[in-house]
Amino acid sequence: MLKELIDKGYYSIHDGFDNWEDAVRASVQPLIDAGAVKPAYADSIVNSVKKFGPYIVIAPDIAIPHAEDKPNVNETTLCFMKSNTPVVFDPEDHEKDARLFFVLASNDEEKHLKNLEGLMEFLSDEEFVAKLGEAKTLEEIKALL
Amino acid sequence: MLKVIAACGNGMGSSQMIKMKISKVFKKLGVDVKVDHNSVGAAQNMASEYDAVFVSQNFVKQFANAAAHGTVIVGLKNLLSEQEIEEKIKEAGLDKK
Repeated sequence: MLKELIDKGYYSIHDGFDNWEDAVRASVQPLIDAGAVKPAYADSIVNSVKKFGPYIVIAPDIAIPHAEDKPNVNETTLCFMKSNTPVVFDPEDHEKDARLFFVLASNDEEKHLKNLEGLMEFLSDEEFVAKLGEAKTLEEIKALL
Repeated sequence: MLKVIAACGNGMGSSQMIKMKISKVFKKLGVDVKVDHNSVGAAQNMASEYDAVFVSQNFVKQFANAAAHGTVIVGLKNLLSEQEIEEKIKEAGLDKK
């Protein structure tokens, strides 16, 4: 799963961010650059997090930025981002910090469900996820795949 | 048969993930269950039709009404942890229904 995303250029690696909003926007940028989503999709995600809180951090260290916004999505896909410094979503709850980001974009339910299943399977190995969290460069990430 | 619903902000990301995970855990526990998923907004209106609602911990307080009417509200911290899901299902007695 991650290998395909890297091959497609649907990933980015960063040292860190001043705030979660910049991190979320950066996580979507490769999809914007590729035309897979419109720039407004990043706004939708930011607004969703502002409205609902940091529930997109689904597990320690893992965030899944996404929004229900089919008109701004051209391709049903995932996009990976690694922040080497944890991104803080809630200063009072560091269990909501994340270094691994998997953007979800969907305009096709069936394909989206397959993507989610693939992602869940990918993330089910805790030891692997821990190693991925520590990997700081593309080479280090590739070495794990 | 047990009827449960998984909910999240948009109804397309984490609620789907919760649905996949809890379906797996209920199956493991041998519980006959129907699992739906939806956005928190829609699930709030339908919660009383379900035995239990599974949500990210962030959303638990938004289901206070349903909880008052007897629906079990299960808040999850780690959506990927089958262990946490299993513990909370047992804690709520949902494996005995």
